[in-house]
Amino acid sequence: MLSLLSVRSKLQPYDTFSDYSARAKAEIISLPRNAQELYGENLGEAVEQFTQLSVEMTKDVNPDVIHCHDWMTFEAGIRTSRHKRKPLVAHIHATELDRTDFHPNEWITARERGGLLAADKVIAVSGYTKNMLMRHYGIPGDKVAVVHNGHDREHFPVQSVLQNPLTQERNPFILFLGRLTVQKNPWQFLEMAKRVHDLRPDVRFVMAGDGPMLGTLIDRACELGLHDCMTFAGKANREEVRSLFAAASCFVMPSLSEPFGLVALEAIEHGTPVILSKQSGAAEVIQHAFTIDAWDSEKMADCVLTILREEPLARQLRSEAPHILRRLTWQNQAGNVRSIYQNLITG
Amino acid sequence: MTPSITFYFQVHQPYRLRDLRITEIGKGDANYFDAEKNRSVFRKVAEKCYLPANRLMLELLERYPNFRIAYSLSGVFLEQCEEYGQDVLASFRVLAKTGRVEFLGETYYHSLSCLKSLKDFCKQVRMHTLAIKRHFGQRPTIFRNTELIYRNELALIARVLGFRGILAEGADRLLGNRSANEPFVPPDFPLRPEQEQTINRERWMPPSDSMHILLKNYRLSDDVAFRFSDRSWVGYPLHADTFTDWLMTAGGHSINLFMDYETFGEHQWEDTGIFEFLRALPRIWDKRGIATTTPSEVIARWTGTSEVYDAHDFISWADTERDLSAWQGNRIQQAALDALYGLEDLVERSHSEELAKIWGRLQTSDHFYYMCTKYWNDGDVHKYFSPYDSPYEAYRRYSHALCDLRQRLEANAKCQVPTSKKEFNHHSSRFNCFLQKFLGSWGLALGTSA
Repeated sequence: MLSLLSVRSKLQPYDTFSDYSARAKAEIISLPRNAQELYGENLGEAVEQFTQLSVEMTKDVNPDVIHCHDWMTFEAGIRTSRHKRKPLVAHIHATELDRTDFHPNEWITARERGGLLAADKVIAVSGYTKNMLMRHYGIPGDKVAVVHNGHDREHFPVQSVLQNPLTQERNPFILFLGRLTVQKNPWQFLEMAKRVHDLRPDVRFVMAGDGPMLGTLIDRACELGLHDCMTFAGKANREEVRSLFAAASCFVMPSLSEPFGLVALEAIEHGTPVILSKQSGAAEVIQHAFTIDAWDSEKMADCVLTILREEPLARQLRSEAPHILRRLTWQNQAGNVRSIYQNLITG
Repeated sequence: MTPSITFYFQVHQPYRLRDLRITEIGKGDANYFDAEKNRSVFRKVAEKCYLPANRLMLELLERYPNFRIAYSLSGVFLEQCEEYGQDVLASFRVLAKTGRVEFLGETYYHSLSCLKSLKDFCKQVRMHTLAIKRHFGQRPTIFRNTELIYRNELALIARVLGFRGILAEGADRLLGNRSANEPFVPPDFPLRPEQEQTINRERWMPPSDSMHILLKNYRLSDDVAFRFSDRSWVGYPLHADTFTDWLMTAGGHSINLFMDYETFGEHQWEDTGIFEFLRALPRIWDKRGIATTTPSEVIARWTGTSEVYDAHDFISWADTERDLSAWQGNRIQQAALDALYGLEDLVERSHSEELAKIWGRLQTSDHFYYMCTKYWNDGDVHKYFSPYDSPYEAYRRYSHALCDLRQRLEANAKCQVPTSKKEFNHHSSRFNCFLQKFLGSWGLALGTSA
C-alpha cells in the first residue's frame, strides 16, 4: 500500500499532487492546513524545512530501503538512512549540469555529490547520466545502476486526434515540444528550421512549450526570416500534444543534455519519426531514429530533409520505433528497481 | 575414402560513403566516397590480415607441394589495391605464380545485381573475369555469387556463361540428411527465352557442358571463422589435430571450408593463435595423407553421381537465417535497391564511364548490409559491423548519393542528342546542357524519391 503525503512547497515536481495520487490510487494522508504552508521563500531554507519535516514524519515508519529522488531530497534520505540503519538508494533524474549547460550552482552540486557518495546504490535514468555521474561526480561505475525510464501506452480515441485542426494542415511540419529553456536547446531548433526553410519553403515549424526563452526565440525567428512558417504554440494540453505528434512529419529533440527525454517515447508512441540529440538517454533506447549532436543544426536539418524526401524511410521509422515500448513499460522498469532493492536487502 | 579439403577465401572491401550533405546534391561534382576512411581501413586490414596471411600462404605453398587454395577477390577490392595496396596486389600475384592458387569468378562490384538485373549481372561477371585475367593470368571457371547468394536459376545462368561450377551455402533445410561434402547438380529446367537472349548477348565464353554445385560445410567453416576464439564454446581452444579429426569424421568427397579471408588476423586477431592454427594444418594433413584441392579440381576428380540441390528460393551464407534478409530485410533496404537499379537505363544512355563506375560502386552489397535492422527490435544489443552510426545514417548517405547521381545522369542524358538531329540541335543542346548545369547547382529535386 502506497501512502502519499501532500505538502505545499516551492519545490515543484513535474506532476501535480492530485494527478499523481489519482494515478497511483494511493492512500492520501493530509496534513493539517497550517502545516501545509511550510516553506519560506529561500530555496536552501525550503530544502532544510522539507528535510526536517520528512525525518520527523517518518520516525515511526520501518522501511527496508530508503529511496530518494534528486538532490533536494538527498539530505532527508541520508539522515533517515543513518537513523534507521537501512540502505539508501539515490535516484538521479537530472543533474545540475544537465539543467545549466554545465554552469552549475556549486552549492547544489555539493549537495548532489554528498547524496551520491552517501548512497549505497545509485540509480541513473540512462547510461548517459551514469557516465555523467562517473566523469563529473567521481562516482565509481559499479555503484551506479541504469534503469531507463518507461512509458505506458495510452489508449486514446483516434477520432479526437483526427478532428483536431492541426491534422488538417496540408504542409509538412516539424515539431519541437518542451520547455523553452537552455537545456532543451530550442535555439538550435531555430537554426535547423532556417536551413530547412532555405531548401523547402513549404515546410512549417511548431514550437510547443513555454519557458523563459520564449521572447528571445520569437525575436530570433523573425531575425532568421521564419515569421511565416514558425508557430509558437505555447504550452499544449494532453489532447493538443497528441494531435501535434500525430500530424507532425518529424519530431526533433535537440537537448543540450537530456538525462532521459520521456517526450521522445511519447513521440514514437504516436508514430512520429524522431531525431534525437546524442546527448540524451532516449537515444540509447530508441534505435529506429536519427541521432545528432546537439550543436549540429546542419545535420539536424539534413536528417529532417531526408525524412521529408524519403517516404520509405519515414514509414519505416513510424512503424519500427514503437516496438521498444513493449519492453519499456513502467511495470518492467519498476521490476528492475525492485531487484535492486532485493539485492540491497539480502546484501 | 579420405575426403580432400577445399579452402576458399573471400577477399573484399567496399567503398564506404562519406557524410554527404543534402546541400551538396546537384552541384555536379560531389564525391560520394570516404577516401580517407577507405584507405585507412584497407591499410589496417592489409597489415593485420592480407600481408601476413599471404606471407603464411606462400610459406605453406612452398613447403607443401600439394597444398592448394582458392580465392575470390572482388573487383572493388582490386581497385582499392591499385589505389593504396600495391604491396597486397603484388603478394597475391606471387601466390598466383605458384600455379596452385585458383581465382574464382564473381560480380565485379560485389553486387546484388542477380536480384535486379540479369544484364548488369552478366556485364559485371565479365568485367571481373577480365580483371582476374589481367592481374593473375587466369580465367575463372568456377563462380561464386556475392555472399553465396544462390538459387537454382543462378547455376543455369553461370553454366551458360561458361562456368563449370558454382559455390553455395550447404543449408540444412535443403540438404535434409544428405552430406554437404559431395558435389551436387542443379535441377534441370530451361531458362526463360529472354534470359537466354540477354546472356547470349553478354557472354564471352561458350556455355559449359556441365555444372556442379560445391556446398560450404558451414559447421566446420564457422568453427574456424566465428568460433575459433570463443571461450564459451565447447571446442575452445581448437587445435589443428582435433580439427583434422573432425574433418575426417565428416567424410565425403571434399570438405569445403569457405570463409572471409579477414578471418585471419582481422576477425580472429593474431593473438588468438589463428595463424599458428593455419600453419599447423597442412603439416598434419601432409602427414596423414589428406589432400587439399581447389574447387575446379574437386569437380574434375568427381566421378560419382550427383544428387540434385534444389534451391527454389534464395539462400546465402549470412546470419542464422541464411537468406536475403541481411540486405533486403526492411523497407529502406528495398527502397534503396529499387532506386539504384531504377537508374540502370540512365546509366546506359549516359555513355559515361565515370558515372557507370560510381553507379557500380554504389551496387556493392555492403551498403545494404549497413542498413540492416533485423536484430534491433526488442532491445537486442546485437549490432551489425558498420562504419556508420546507424542503419538510418547509412540510408541517409546512400539516398543522397543516389539523388545526386540521378541528377547527374539526367543532366547527362539531356546533353546526349540523337545522331540525326545532332547537327541541327547542336547549339541548342549545348545551351540546354549549360542551363541544366546552372539549374542543377540551384535546384534540389527534393520531390524525387530515391
